[in-house]
Amino acid sequence: MYLSDLKVGQKAIVLQASISLPVKLYEMGCMPGEEIELNYAAPFSGPMCFLVQGTSISMRKELAELVPITDPNIKSLQNDR
Amino acid sequence: MIDKKAIRVALVGRPNTGKSSLFNRLTGLRQKVGNYPGVTMEKTMGLSKWAPGVLAEIIDLPGIYSLHASSVDEQVVMDSLLNDDVGEKIDVVIGLADGTNLKTCLFVFTQIIDLGIPAVLAITMTDQMERRGMELQVSDLSESLGVPISLINARSGQGIDQLRADVLKATSSSKGPFFQPGGLHLQWVNQVDQDHDFNSVYKSWLYGLSSTVYSDLINNTGRTPARVRADEAIKRYRVVNDWLRQFFHTDPGKDRRWTARLDKWIVNPIWGSVILFGLLFIIFQALFYGSETPMNFIDDQFAHLSNFLSGILPSSFLSHLITNGIIPGISGVLIFIPQIALLFGFIALLEESGYMARVVFIMDRFMRPFGLSGKSVVPMVSGTACAIPAIMSTRNMENSRERWLAIAVTPLITCAARLPVYALLISLVIPDQSFFGMSLRGLVLFGLYLIGFVTALLGSALLTKIMPTAKVNPFLLEMPSYRLPQLKNVAHAILNRTKSFVSEAGKIILAISVVLWFFASFGPGKAPDFNQDYVAIPIEDSYVGKMGKAIEPVMKPLGFDWKVSIAVLSSFVAREVFVGTMATLYSVDDNEKSSIREQMAKQKNPVTGEPYFNLAVGVSLLLFYAFAMQCMSTYAVVARETRSHKFAAIQFLILGILAYGAAFLAYSALA
Repeated sequence: MYLSDLKVGQKAIVLQASISLPVKLYEMGCMPGEEIELNYAAPFSGPMCFLVQGTSISMRKELAELVPITDPNIKSLQNDR
Repeated sequence: MIDKKAIRVALVGRPNTGKSSLFNRLTGLRQKVGNYPGVTMEKTMGLSKWAPGVLAEIIDLPGIYSLHASSVDEQVVMDSLLNDDVGEKIDVVIGLADGTNLKTCLFVFTQIIDLGIPAVLAITMTDQMERRGMELQVSDLSESLGVPISLINARSGQGIDQLRADVLKATSSSKGPFFQPGGLHLQWVNQVDQDHDFNSVYKSWLYGLSSTVYSDLINNTGRTPARVRADEAIKRYRVVNDWLRQFFHTDPGKDRRWTARLDKWIVNPIWGSVILFGLLFIIFQALFYGSETPMNFIDDQFAHLSNFLSGILPSSFLSHLITNGIIPGISGVLIFIPQIALLFGFIALLEESGYMARVVFIMDRFMRPFGLSGKSVVPMVSGTACAIPAIMSTRNMENSRERWLAIAVTPLITCAARLPVYALLISLVIPDQSFFGMSLRGLVLFGLYLIGFVTALLGSALLTKIMPTAKVNPFLLEMPSYRLPQLKNVAHAILNRTKSFVSEAGKIILAISVVLWFFASFGPGKAPDFNQDYVAIPIEDSYVGKMGKAIEPVMKPLGFDWKVSIAVLSSFVAREVFVGTMATLYSVDDNEKSSIREQMAKQKNPVTGEPYFNLAVGVSLLLFYAFAMQCMSTYAVVARETRSHKFAAIQFLILGILAYGAAFLAYSALA
């Protein structure tokens, strides 16, 4: 699963990427182990806006497609337990 | 007298932390705008007397997400903080942190502390923290950081005195460093320190990671510089998270409520577009019509002044230089102020309120195919009024490559100065007919606007294709919470932008205006008669006239005779000068448009005997004006904004070739 797969309002945990991602992503607070939520996305594969560590960050979909995350559905099951 | 105790204080923090509000609070009106050496970024400084005999120079550094440089902003901040030269060295850093977004702000602040520079922390947005039910154990955090913390409210001024007192006795943090390079990095860090005498592990670390000189040494550790920086970020966030877990308490439900509610509408694909286009329309209207009265006022007053002076001064070279060269030149600078002030007022409002980030978000998808992001929308729209404020507005773009692209193509957008030329030529060569119920003349005008936009976008796409980039900045954008704009900050933004336009681009505009006056009034071996009744030399005998005649063979394939060539040349002052020059050339006494039109309509082509201004010549001229960068003020502002006359000259040349080519094709096809 990748960030781009999230639906609005869904939450997941950012995973360690195997490729090197822009450092700015980490420095803005989007890093492995953090909870991330999709706030909203622009139509026609436009940019997506996520909430992570209390900050809203927008990125293009092509970058969101590179950031691995946990499966949001499985995560909610874990929370129920 | 220079005060020996002037201390240099820099404001450093993330964007949207209330940095400019605090800066305005600390300095009042005594601000000056300059440029950072080597880059086009603007820097604002202000002097303030803090105590008897203590003068503080406050430097407003750009907002950053990290001390590591990913953007020009961050490069500027890093360079400023690493600079130890006398007169440049920063004595104290005021770190800023938005109290409602402490985590990411503290991340940057721990980097600042590790530099070893004396620092204090100012926490802003304290009123919002309270409203959102956030609690911070300030003294505990202060103890962990090893520096004093002041809670401030820039709006009311609360906490500012405390902050000043903290700055005056600031020292390096008693705690920290909060991050230390691991053993395998010590070798290259020591190398940097030896080469540059930073005497600080973290300074050497920052510098080494930003410089390509050390990339081989760093890669020897088995990790890329990017990977190393990512590791640092993770470690720092771990420290910060630890503090916040102990000292910060919040009710997450209350957080970001308002912003989320507003965003439902503002970034909605339908409503968001309606709101955005409504706003852009208002800005467009304001630039067009709101600036009309003050612009006419400036124009009239300077014309009066010119007339008045030529009435009382004895006619001489000097008096004509003043009344016809210098005064119109100054007027030509000041005339842009209403539009610049209006546009920057709007931009400051959009930025301050947090809406600008949404503009970028909504428009990004549409601008992307052309190598631009959503940020280019503002210069593109304001370019329809005037390229000068539009090009200045690109300063708000963090991405320097995109900024250059926007500057390169903005002069193609149909500006207000083209309108009088278009109106005259369209009424001359386009028949007053209707076309499917629409005015044909109106359609042609619309077509010219469309040509401007389309060429600008295609030009940008083309430049993106052919210009290779070394460093691609990822599109990462923080969406700040909505906030009520502070009018004081808007006023400061308007004032600073206007000042820097007048003092920098203004000089070039004035100089070119004087030179052009000379070329239009004097000719080789000819000078106007400066006696009691000033007798100007015929324009065809002037340098401009000679040049016009000299380039006639070049302009002939476009269908331009020497008179049109002269008018095209003199249009470099400003495009609308075309109309006035045509009037002079055809000896029309007043600038009444209808009479110029009649005179022009009467001109016959000496070969065919048909009217000279036929469809072919008209369309050729229209296209020439659509593409050519015939505007010295645009040239001046581009040269100033890019810090490069080469850029402006190449742009002038390429747009000139484009204009020539289009006019040539049109004339060949229609003649």
